[in-house]
Amino acid sequence: MYDILIKNGLVIDGAGTKAVLSDVGIKDGKILAIGENLKDGGQQVLDAAGLVVSPGFIDPHTHFDVQLLWDGAAKPALEHGVTSIIPGNCSLSLAPLKAEDRKTLIGMFQQIEELPPAAFTDAFEWTWETFSDYRAAIEGDLSVNVAPLVGHSVIRLWVMGADAQQRAARPDEIEAMQDLLRDCLNAGAVGLSTSFVDVDENARPVPSRFAQFQELDALCAVLGEFGRMLQIVPEFYDTDITIARIDQLAELSLKHKIPTTLSPVFDNRQSPNNVPRTLARIEEQTARGARVWPQMQTRPIDISFSLLRPSLFFARLPSWVKILRLPVTERISALRDPATADKLVADVGEDGGERLMGRLIVRGGGEAPEHLVGRTLGDIAAERGEVPARALITLSLENDLEIAFLAANGGHDSTDRIGPMLANPLVHIGASDGGAHLTSFSTYGDTGYLFSEFVRKSGALTLEHAVQKITSEPAEIWGLKDRGMLKTGYAADVVIFDPSTIDRGIERPVFDMPGGGMRYVRDSIGVDTVLVNGQIAWAKGAYTNAQTGQICALA
Amino acid sequence: MSEAVVLAADIAAGHDGDAELVVTVRYENGVVGVVSLDADCAFDIMQSCGAASSADLVGRSWHEVLKGV
Ligand SMILES: [Zn+2]
Repeated sequence: MYDILIKNGLVIDGAGTKAVLSDVGIKDGKILAIGENLKDGGQQVLDAAGLVVSPGFIDPHTHFDVQLLWDGAAKPALEHGVTSIIPGNCSLSLAPLKAEDRKTLIGMFQQIEELPPAAFTDAFEWTWETFSDYRAAIEGDLSVNVAPLVGHSVIRLWVMGADAQQRAARPDEIEAMQDLLRDCLNAGAVGLSTSFVDVDENARPVPSRFAQFQELDALCAVLGEFGRMLQIVPEFYDTDITIARIDQLAELSLKHKIPTTLSPVFDNRQSPNNVPRTLARIEEQTARGARVWPQMQTRPIDISFSLLRPSLFFARLPSWVKILRLPVTERISALRDPATADKLVADVGEDGGERLMGRLIVRGGGEAPEHLVGRTLGDIAAERGEVPARALITLSLENDLEIAFLAANGGHDSTDRIGPMLANPLVHIGASDGGAHLTSFSTYGDTGYLFSEFVRKSGALTLEHAVQKITSEPAEIWGLKDRGMLKTGYAADVVIFDPSTIDRGIERPVFDMPGGGMRYVRDSIGVDTVLVNGQIAWAKGAYTNAQTGQICALA
Repeated sequence: MSEAVVLAADIAAGHDGDAELVVTVRYENGVVGVVSLDADCAFDIMQSCGAASSADLVGRSWHEVLKGV
């Protein structure tokens, strides 16, 4: 008798094998049998007729470190079918961390995650300093599996204190960092993350950026003792530097026999050679035997702005730039002045901004009135009997400029270009940044978008290939033991979804962060049931009480 | 005797969802590369070299433009 028997589903095993109609029998958190007409029966039987049964999805680039302390499901990641997450990216993890350094690290986390201060003071108790104690703090209440990275910046901070953000390390300090990293890896860390880009809340480079190459090399030697991952944030805005980083990662990978990954890698129309050049170098280095995985996100990047800060959205409109660069009070008076406003409207052109601004979408989350959220400016303007440029000004003034507009698909948005990139065997699908940038945009639902945009709409990937790219591939790249495939003996992390509807919902603001903090989320569409280690964690639109998430065992 | 010039200046979405200015430059040795600038930096250079709009940067000497950084 199985604990759970999933009947009649279209089983996609994650290895790239063609889908087959089959049953999946689960017992004691593991997959016990896969086959047609399993006879044994189950204590609970799930009918998956017409649905796909696949391994749970794996998200390799997240910042759920803080959220996991009060939300073991990393909502809403789990309801999208994500059963394993990797937090601790971009050089930042919550451990190891001395009590006296908490304030410093909170500043860095707030910069990247945009969490309200209450998240760090009211939502949980700081019970840990070491990595193993942080692990203990989250482990009991997990609904999702976690393979945590340890951040280079916090390792530096532990060893060097405030000097971590000022200078290179001495040999004795490098040795102390090596010992500390070794402790973390022994406590189950999946690897080390570092960043060449990130800054803290005062725009100062994070500690990892003060490291010289010999420090990184020494830390990678420790990763080599365990065969664990190095994740980096490269200077992604510059192709030549990114390529130099790829070469550096390749040397580290070959020398220390470790996998490495860089994220993010973006495509956009303005620098069309960026991804092709990056991938060409990855191909060369892979041919040498180096393991360097570029992570690419599925979702486009949307530009968002309000009139609170001057945005380059207006870079081709000199009169707008001039007004928007004024101090806020003067800016508001200028916008209120009828003659000035008339001139601004006239300057966008004869169509009143229909072409440039008509398709902007009013975002929720700020002061935007509820009934306007999600509607286009063109639509709202028509209703008000104004042209879009005028509506942009009046709506902004009516809401103290605290109303944001979204210009959908500003980059990484050409499906015809991105599809083949995602399908490329050298590309690691990831870089969602789940749990970060909370008040800027939603970082959830990239997996649903993979299926809706690149399987159903463009056909760049088959259903089986898309599943493979977010299940067995990441499990193998990161060394997650017995996950990422529907295979006898493997962990029963399973998603049951409708291949004809799976998608991400529209972006919407919710106020569910500690202290009523806002974040943008997207609901899942077409995901029927999610199992984590053999128990139903989410089904038919609701979370269960299951807390069967684990810290991932590593190969 | 060519000097580095701006070939194009386009608006693109940056990693954080803010609009960025992507400047395409042809350097002295003929190599073409792109540089991304955030809003503050881009507006500063436009102001300092007297470019009314991002489109006005096209054709200018890159070294002149850089003086505004
Ligand atoms: Zn990140």
